Amino acid sequence: MTARTLAQPFPTVTPDTDAMDAAQTMARLRWPGLIISGDDGRPYTILPGSEVLRFLIPTYVQDDPGLARALDERASDELFRKLVRSTVRDLLPQPPDYDDLPVVDADATSLEVAAVMARMRSPLVAVVDGDKVVGAITVNRLLEHLLPPAPAS
Amino acid sequence: MTSVLVVAAFAAAYVLIATERIHRVAAALSGAAAMVLLGVVDARVAFFSEKTGVDWNVIFLLLGMMVIVSVLKQTGVFDFVAIWAAKRTRGRPFATMVMLVVITAIASALLDNVTTVLLVAPVTLLVCDRLGLAPVPFLIAEALASNIGGTATLIGDPPNIIIASRAGLTFNDFVANLAPIVIILLVVFIGLCRVLFRSAFTYDPERVAALMALDEREVIKDRGLLLRSGIVLVAVMVGFVAHSALHIEPSMVALLGAGALVALSKLDPPEFLEEVEWPTLVFFMGLFVMVGALVEVGVIGRLGALITDAVGDQYLLASSVLLGGSALLSGIVDNIPYVATVAPLVQTMVDAGNGVGHSTALWWALALGADLGGNATAVGASANVVVIGIAARNGHPISFWQFTKYGSVVAAVTIAVSWLYLWLRYYALG
Repeated sequence: MTARTLAQPFPTVTPDTDAMDAAQTMARLRWPGLIISGDDGRPYTILPGSEVLRFLIPTYVQDDPGLARALDERASDELFRKLVRSTVRDLLPQPPDYDDLPVVDADATSLEVAAVMARMRSPLVAVVDGDKVVGAITVNRLLEHLLPPAPAS
Repeated sequence: MTSVLVVAAFAAAYVLIATERIHRVAAALSGAAAMVLLGVVDARVAFFSEKTGVDWNVIFLLLGMMVIVSVLKQTGVFDFVAIWAAKRTRGRPFATMVMLVVITAIASALLDNVTTVLLVAPVTLLVCDRLGLAPVPFLIAEALASNIGGTATLIGDPPNIIIASRAGLTFNDFVANLAPIVIILLVVFIGLCRVLFRSAFTYDPERVAALMALDEREVIKDRGLLLRSGIVLVAVMVGFVAHSALHIEPSMVALLGAGALVALSKLDPPEFLEEVEWPTLVFFMGLFVMVGALVEVGVIGRLGALITDAVGDQYLLASSVLLGGSALLSGIVDNIPYVATVAPLVQTMVDAGNGVGHSTALWWALALGADLGGNATAVGASANVVVIGIAARNGHPISFWQFTKYGSVVAAVTIAVSWLYLWLRYYALG
């Protein structure tokens, strides 16, 4: 099966999209990340869900995760309010690595897609046909295709 | 001729270490390799000579303490103490800073300075975040406090470990001679904090609730491990205090404590070795071989004789120069290679004074100068560099001059007070 067949439509998000909207889109559609497109519609970079968390969780808590236990729900709400008045650009690692995008050609095989995902540790790849983006493949979708069917119970 | 080549190789390696043109471990190992190639050092000297080889007491004391810290870190006890202390201040900024400074100083006296700031800085950022305070003054104060507190004991700062091993001084010698002045310096430092960081103490009563909502009990990850670690740590401290009476070297006390903690904690090797800084240990080994070569070719002996002749019985002058010079140099270059190089020279002077009274004060002048001088600049001590790195990663950059502006004042005042202490205790009243 080729990448074109596996690809699913994905919502367009740009670096100037509201960060809260982007995070909510990701959560609502259950996507592990979002593909960020530039002005020309070409994939610009990938925003994995973990980057959203990296933006929200203070570095000192990432360094010492035990500190998170001391924080209550109110503190948690305060942390997540950081998304208000932020854009997707703020969530992206600085500077984004434009040369190393998880992108595959539409005629790539499913194993090729798996290889790109594994090499780039990305839960998502964009599928392009020339200049046109035809969709995206999530790791769940790929595994569903690659794994043998579960035996009937 | 060999002496000249050895001095040249030593100087070249030292310049590389000081300028950080290459990694200090590579520089020290290159220096040690040069000594071997020059035929001054062989395996017997490097590995088995107590006077001119690798000082295994220093290496294993550091290793043991690093393992102990690795296990202690898993308990969350540092986070607990810092949050608990900050809550006792009810969010008053200066009182919070005093609490954090005192905790850092005490922890630094018992553990390595770098480890202490690594453990205290994240929880400081949390406390400042909750109170809406700028964390930079707090972080700078903690780095400075760690260097002051670490001066108090044999295990508090690596230069003290080198001095203790070279001079044959005990844990109690350090506590008796340095802990009193460190307590005075800490009080003076807290007074300085009130003045230096006065603009940072903005009190917002509405933020206090956010601090008080922190639940410090939740950060204790494993109460059983905390209890076991606490018992072993107390036993290790008792071992340090009693090591001369028990005829056990501090390195053995640390290794036994580390072994006991490893056995009791049931942690995996990556966890109990997490805080072991292998590059630092290898750096020490290279350094010992480099300095040992200078001793082997007689350079240290001749230099020591020259200095001893020049000093005569003017030990107050020698102590003053040693204190001031060490402080100045430690503010610019790493104090570990400095102390490793100077210690044999000080030994010669102390021996010339028969190792009694006024002459032994030279050791304390060296320790105070090297440990406290590190506060003078942003790069003077490893703890400063680590704190600046943590601050930058958390979006609070501290510039070299911003740190140095505060550090130089603190270093100058603490060195001046230390000189008064040395003069009063060992010369005027001694």
